[in-house]
Amino acid sequence: MKKLLNYAYYPGCSLHASAGEYDLSTRELFKALKIGLTEVPDWFCCGATPAHNVDELLSLSLCAKNLELAEKVEGDLAVACAACFSRLKFTQHTLEENATKRKQVEKAIDAPVKLDGKVKHLLEILAGDLGLERLAASVNKPLAGLKVACYYGCLLTRPTDVPNLDCTEAPTIMERVIEAVGAETVAWSHRLECCGANFTLSRPGVVIQLTNAILDSAKAAGADCIMVGCPLCHGNLDIRQKEIEGVYKTNYNLPVFYLTQLVGLSVGLGSGKLGLDAMIVSPMPLLKEKGLL
Amino acid sequence: MDARVKKKKMILSQGTMDVDFVRKVEALSDTSVRRCFQCGKCSAGCPMATFMEHPPNRVVRLLQLGQWRRILEGRSIWYCASCETCSTRCPNKVHLASIMDALRKLSWDAEGPSKESYVQLANKLFLQNIRSYGRQYEMRLAAVFNVKSGQFLKDLSLGPKLLAKGKLKMFHSKNRNLSEIGKIFTRIEEMRKNGEAL
Amino acid sequence: MSRIGVFICHCGENISRTVDVERVAAQVGNMPGVAFATDYKYMCSDPGQTLLKKTIQEQKLSHVVVAACSPRMHEKTFRKAVESAGLNPFLCEMANIREHCSWVHENREEATVKAIEIVGMMVERVKKNRVLPAITVPVTKRSLVIGGGIAGIQAALDIADCGHEVILVEREPSIGGHMAQLSETFPTLDCSQCIMTPKMVDVANHPKIKLYTFSEIELVEGYIGNFQVTIKKKARSVDEDTCTGCGVCMTKCPQKKIPNKFDQNIGMRTAIYVPFPQAVPNTPVIDRDNCTWFKSGKCGVCQKVCGPGAVDFEQQDRLIVEAVGAIVVATGFDLYTIDEKPKGSPIKGYGEFGHGKIPDVIDGMTFERLASASGPTGGRILRPSDGKEPKQIVFIQCIGSRAREKGISYCSKVCCMYTAKHTMLYHHKVHDGQAYVFFMDARTPGKSYDEFWRRSIEEEEAVYIRGMVSRLYQKGDKIVVMGSDIAVGVQVEIEADMVVLATAVMPQKGADTLAQKLGISYDKYHFYSEAHAKLRPVECATAGIYLAGACQGPKDIPETVSQASAAAAKVMTLFSKDKMEREPIVARVREAGCVGCFACKKVCAYGAVEEKEIRDRQGNLIKVVAYVNPGVCGGCGTCQATCPSKSVELDGYTDEQIVAMIEAL
Repeated sequence: MKKLLNYAYYPGCSLHASAGEYDLSTRELFKALKIGLTEVPDWFCCGATPAHNVDELLSLSLCAKNLELAEKVEGDLAVACAACFSRLKFTQHTLEENATKRKQVEKAIDAPVKLDGKVKHLLEILAGDLGLERLAASVNKPLAGLKVACYYGCLLTRPTDVPNLDCTEAPTIMERVIEAVGAETVAWSHRLECCGANFTLSRPGVVIQLTNAILDSAKAAGADCIMVGCPLCHGNLDIRQKEIEGVYKTNYNLPVFYLTQLVGLSVGLGSGKLGLDAMIVSPMPLLKEKGLL
Repeated sequence: MDARVKKKKMILSQGTMDVDFVRKVEALSDTSVRRCFQCGKCSAGCPMATFMEHPPNRVVRLLQLGQWRRILEGRSIWYCASCETCSTRCPNKVHLASIMDALRKLSWDAEGPSKESYVQLANKLFLQNIRSYGRQYEMRLAAVFNVKSGQFLKDLSLGPKLLAKGKLKMFHSKNRNLSEIGKIFTRIEEMRKNGEAL
Repeated sequence: MSRIGVFICHCGENISRTVDVERVAAQVGNMPGVAFATDYKYMCSDPGQTLLKKTIQEQKLSHVVVAACSPRMHEKTFRKAVESAGLNPFLCEMANIREHCSWVHENREEATVKAIEIVGMMVERVKKNRVLPAITVPVTKRSLVIGGGIAGIQAALDIADCGHEVILVEREPSIGGHMAQLSETFPTLDCSQCIMTPKMVDVANHPKIKLYTFSEIELVEGYIGNFQVTIKKKARSVDEDTCTGCGVCMTKCPQKKIPNKFDQNIGMRTAIYVPFPQAVPNTPVIDRDNCTWFKSGKCGVCQKVCGPGAVDFEQQDRLIVEAVGAIVVATGFDLYTIDEKPKGSPIKGYGEFGHGKIPDVIDGMTFERLASASGPTGGRILRPSDGKEPKQIVFIQCIGSRAREKGISYCSKVCCMYTAKHTMLYHHKVHDGQAYVFFMDARTPGKSYDEFWRRSIEEEEAVYIRGMVSRLYQKGDKIVVMGSDIAVGVQVEIEADMVVLATAVMPQKGADTLAQKLGISYDKYHFYSEAHAKLRPVECATAGIYLAGACQGPKDIPETVSQASAAAAKVMTLFSKDKMEREPIVARVREAGCVGCFACKKVCAYGAVEEKEIRDRQGNLIKVVAYVNPGVCGGCGTCQATCPSKSVELDGYTDEQIVAMIEAL
């Protein structure tokens, strides 16, 4: 069957490990939407936060090399992980603006830097390239009655002028995507607040405090579940949710979906193809209650 | 951080204000330190400010005064989550998140005068993993971190749950282009040795 | 043969420190055409000028070169001296050996050689200078004032009190401007309307003031002393002469829920309305966009109830032409809003404060209307969302101002003071409430200003927090304010009932369009530019146009009133003579060479180029050529540089003069 669109795919390390269900549901969803996805051969770690944290030149070089590898595959580069997306966009932005850094990076990767390739987060592909109308037309099972708190976190929208995914302070792209497939969204205060991200390894106490505030805000707004586009946020919101409930003596019970899982559900993909059983906070009771499974 | 250092009187002179260090920070971060007029908006929105002994605005203030030792000896820079809120909302286009990166790099080069060792250890292991394998393997990262930081029991309860959910890979391979990745590291090291990069 | 006199100034030590002035005088004395050369400590001093005048007479000089500072500094001085010695002033030139030489060089030898060359160039130039007679233009002793706020009102009253006629044009249905909206004024807390409305009435009753409200400037032609201004008088739908201002129409109008702009849209008005009860003129206007009659052809109640029969649905916009000699621009300011700005605008809004969508986050002007006894709440501080009295109120300063990221880098100047005032008004009205102010700096220079600010803290118990706010968000019926106190070094969170933003002062919308009609310059924010920041602060570079109030930059009321009176004084200076003289540095068209392409007309920034028909004796048209109106020409020389047939020359800067200078090098 002819593919509508074709993309090079950069899954990133998490999607090959703790966020396997994000990888699985992305591939299955794109297959269902007839969008081509070819994994970049031999891609390697973008350096994520730790690299730019202590060595920006290394971070830029790793990303520039990955961008070069991506050139070998036809199509714009589709990125699922918000952290990888942020780093790749930052690299493009920085090397465009700063000639000195560009020269250093070219020396480090021993190749000219190419910046014309487009880097797109999955959200941009669904809302922009495919378009909300076509997305809506692919829906077999509208997510009617499901109240979703869309969580952007830090790296999808900030800082101004870099990811350019949507408005920095008042983005709507997640809401637009999930409303297009029939879900309801809630207005809540903490959708752009930081979860503590990779402190999950070094300072889990920090993460527990910050993530609790996010869960609390989503719950207070009446959400049934949270939707994310970042494996780090997912790790903190889902994997640490029980622990947080213990610390704060509360009960959230908020399943945390990747956006591809929820959209996949609406186009009629089954639990097995979406990796729903990999979620720590089980979504099954909720989905059954809403008649979505 | 030593409380005596934190509260010690600042003797300001051209000799005690290290302008060269500030220039390095400005070159690395591609942003101006002098532009900041201390409105404190960065500190108001920083999710990590409560964990820092110097709130973000004060980090910039100390830089303006060339007092970088006070910054590096503390933990503040290691508690920055790189969430970019400060850079996004700064009325003066001071890219504080990039300044934090630059400070951490310079601290890292000085072999980490800060007592904050956990974050630095995690970063170090993360970078080692890239060099050794090409990709991250979270299981390995967590296990080695716990051993090296002496927290053998940390997050122990999460382990079996994650394994059961298929979230931890027990086995991992190396990238085919590992030598290419290694070369990036060595070329950067050489550039620095030759003074071609900070 | 010319007999040129050259006078080399030491400028104290400013020039002589680096330039060997004696040597310059000696060398220049040998140049062909130079009859006399000398040096002197201060040429601009009284003895220096006397030396100049005496030498002209004794040596029978034909031309003069003064080698000294920049002509911007003293050209007028020396030309005047030359004139009093009986020479045409335009036979005197200055050679700038200070800014262009001694100040920018260190090597004495090199600087001296350069000074000799500069003087030599001016010697060759001055030989080609021609006698230029002064240009006189008649002055129409009527003036136009644009904008009926406190600036325009003050300027109009001052000029009119001197006996000169004033045309006052106001865009809104009533004069009064922003000052009429204010509740109390700092630093005395006297009621704004109480001091404002008598002045508005004075304007209405003044025999020398002709008031056009609900009117806009359509076209400005002419030049200093001789402007023709076309004013569009928008259809009011009520005849101003017939209407008695009884107000019955307004009480009967069925459309009662239209947000009133005067009340910052929190109060409501009818479709036929006056913006506020003390409006001048007290003649209502029909808002045709919201009037049932204009929308559907039904209703017409106002017309039916109007006793004198003043309501006129058929009224049309009218164009009126007025001749004036001077123009005072007093268009005032507008407030920045935190809304999303249109794409491409250099100004950005505040997404972190909700882009204006949180109902109880208001701006300072809205607070003024809440606090005003004549406002929509009768002077009670009540929240727009639910009408409750806020017990925790947060003020945030510097919103938009001093934020280059938002596109505005200047300080709005009045916010520190009016926020201090707001905390006092709040404390007077809500005794059990608490006011908090987030601020960066308190800028309170001005008579009794700092004392006023201190009073808000020390006596009125406002809590000032040095630090900015990162985010505002709605939580239930509260607004969470995420701030920081940089003095303590910790974050501050306040659950506020209401938040007041001290938003930036910006020029009126459309300020750029009006400037283009007037031919005056403006800065990147669209504030109008004065001719000289220090020495000509109320004049535009365009002759005959003056500035008053916040259209030039943020100002408070005392400053605005001072500037308005100053602008009026400038107008009166112009009106003190029947004719005015102006510098004859104007372009002149050589009609024989002009082919009538009018490239000069396209580039002329002053609109000075006209089309002139050349006819033979029988009256047959031979050709159309360019004519430069000497009254309008600004002497910039752009036409001279543009003319493809080299048929335009700028007097005082002819090609011959410039070439002579180059050849002297």
